[in-house]
Amino acid sequence: MKLLAKYNRVTIPITIATLLISSIAFYFIIHHVLVHQLDKDLLIEKQEILHHIDETGALPEVSDYKDQQINFTISRDRPMKNKFSTQTVYDSSEGEEKTFSRLDFPVSANGITYIATVKKSQQETEDIVRLILMITFAVIAFLLLILSIASRFLLGKLWQPFNNTIEQLKQFNLQGKNEIELLKTNVDEFTDLNNAAFLMTQKVNTDYELLKSFTENASHEIQTPLAIIKTKLELLSQSENLAEAQVNAIQSLNDATTRLSKLNQSLLLLTKIENRQFATTEKVNIASVLLGYLDNFEELAETKNINIQKNIPTELLVEMNESLAEILISNMIINAIKHNHKGGTIDVDIEDHTLFISNTGHTPTNGTADYFERFKKDTASNDSLGLGLSIVKKICETYGFLVSYKYERERHVVSVQFTAGS
Amino acid sequence: MKILIIEDEKELSTGIADYLSSQDYTCDVAADFAEGIYKIEYNEYDCILLDISLPGGSGLKILEQLKEDKKTDGVLIISAKNSLDDKIRGLNLGADDYLPKPFHLSELNARIAAIIRRKKFDGNNLIEFHNLSIDTQNKTVNVNKNPVELTKKEYELLLYFISNKKRLISKDAIAEHLWGNDMSGNFDFIYTHIKNLRKKLLDAGGTDYIKSVYGMGYKFTNQ
Repeated sequence: MKLLAKYNRVTIPITIATLLISSIAFYFIIHHVLVHQLDKDLLIEKQEILHHIDETGALPEVSDYKDQQINFTISRDRPMKNKFSTQTVYDSSEGEEKTFSRLDFPVSANGITYIATVKKSQQETEDIVRLILMITFAVIAFLLLILSIASRFLLGKLWQPFNNTIEQLKQFNLQGKNEIELLKTNVDEFTDLNNAAFLMTQKVNTDYELLKSFTENASHEIQTPLAIIKTKLELLSQSENLAEAQVNAIQSLNDATTRLSKLNQSLLLLTKIENRQFATTEKVNIASVLLGYLDNFEELAETKNINIQKNIPTELLVEMNESLAEILISNMIINAIKHNHKGGTIDVDIEDHTLFISNTGHTPTNGTADYFERFKKDTASNDSLGLGLSIVKKICETYGFLVSYKYERERHVVSVQFTAGS
Repeated sequence: MKILIIEDEKELSTGIADYLSSQDYTCDVAADFAEGIYKIEYNEYDCILLDISLPGGSGLKILEQLKEDKKTDGVLIISAKNSLDDKIRGLNLGADDYLPKPFHLSELNARIAAIIRRKKFDGNNLIEFHNLSIDTQNKTVNVNKNPVELTKKEYELLLYFISNKKRLISKDAIAEHLWGNDMSGNFDFIYTHIKNLRKKLLDAGGTDYIKSVYGMGYKFTNQ
């Protein structure tokens, strides 16, 4: 729920309630004042009647107007003082009930005591009250209208720096747009937000740079001594007349060094993919990358009498980093060759944006679910680090490709579903 | 042939220089940025081995300087920073090749030979070794003037052997050269390729120059 909606949810009912309650109070006050005024008018009328009797000694004429009626009745009871009351009379001519303020008071004329009754219609009073109420409701409606318009336009404008900051943060990307442009604002809260966002992005940028350079420096620092060891071993192996024991020692050292170096490279590659350091993407034709690598490994496969069946269209364009595409494809093919047996087969298919590479090989002895995990391998062969498939998986995760492995009909099937690179 | 090795790790540069000297190259070594700049200004080299992280400045600056001076020395970047950015920038700045550390000396040697062949292209793309001759332009091989049909990998293997003649080449280095980094360790494949290559050369009336060295690898030699 938007903040404005939440705010409105509280303020609008309160506003309406306040206005309604005050209208009701207003109604009663106005009504009271006006009725009181009518009573005063009745008293004035009384004075006029008394005055008339004083002057003429006779009762004034009985009058029967719509809004004022005067009549006299002979009082049989003892005379009373002023008696105010309200009377509702059905007016047959207008077909509705009418309310009158009524004053009864005793008058004496010609020695007879009458009860004089003066009635004044409250019609006008009610009209006024009604008008006032209508104006009040109109004011409520107008106020609500103004409030909603104001919140739509004025508040939209007020929140603009906030919305801009949010938008900038959304677009913030370590590889691409790694600076945010914030709108100047004189609202303290937004200024605070902007400052915090700015400091945060700065820190993220420096941390990222540090991490990146650490990764590369670590690679450098480890590869350099490895390069020295490897170079010296190679020179040592050039020596004539090496004893068998020495040859074996050199060979073991060489193998270990190679493994160490590859391990380092693979782990760095995984880290770099995780850090999204392969940010540049382009439309890569997976089909042609695949054909290139199959061509490269064709002779290799032949030496193991592995038959490769291809069912590849001429084009499968996928938006991704070219180096990662090559690593992905070569890892999948090498995996299929390495874990194959002599005279086996490899099927390579592309269907509906999905690449399937299946191969014959050893029946898995353990579960196959963790083949994508690092360092998981079915055999204890030294020439495999168990990182190939986890690199495949990591690359797929980076781009949201669906990667899966299954063992069915005595074949290992690895598939990658590329999202359409249209 | 003159080679300049710009590399701050002394152990590495002397190792490289040792190996290359045995392949009839004259090697010069620069241990830092300033020395590197100085040497490229005053000398001409057939190939420069360039490390990127150097004391005193980036190797890429040296590359820029070379291009500014319109020098045509071949440049092979050898970097431990297996960073894609550096590789792309290096090649864009006009480096001829990029070899990440650690590398096999035989691989380094083959790459240098390839660069020099490309740079000195003036018709001389024929490599000869006794009765063997390889035309690197047309990728054809002759034994005693008889053409030999080789597969792509067999051709690459032969070229690799000839580039590193008389030196021991480890099986690992061969595997890496033929199929890239990920395939090393699979030596059965190499054995088959070498067997086939040997057979084809012998069938064409050649000599078997490929000698197995017990437990280590192979040597291409006429001795």
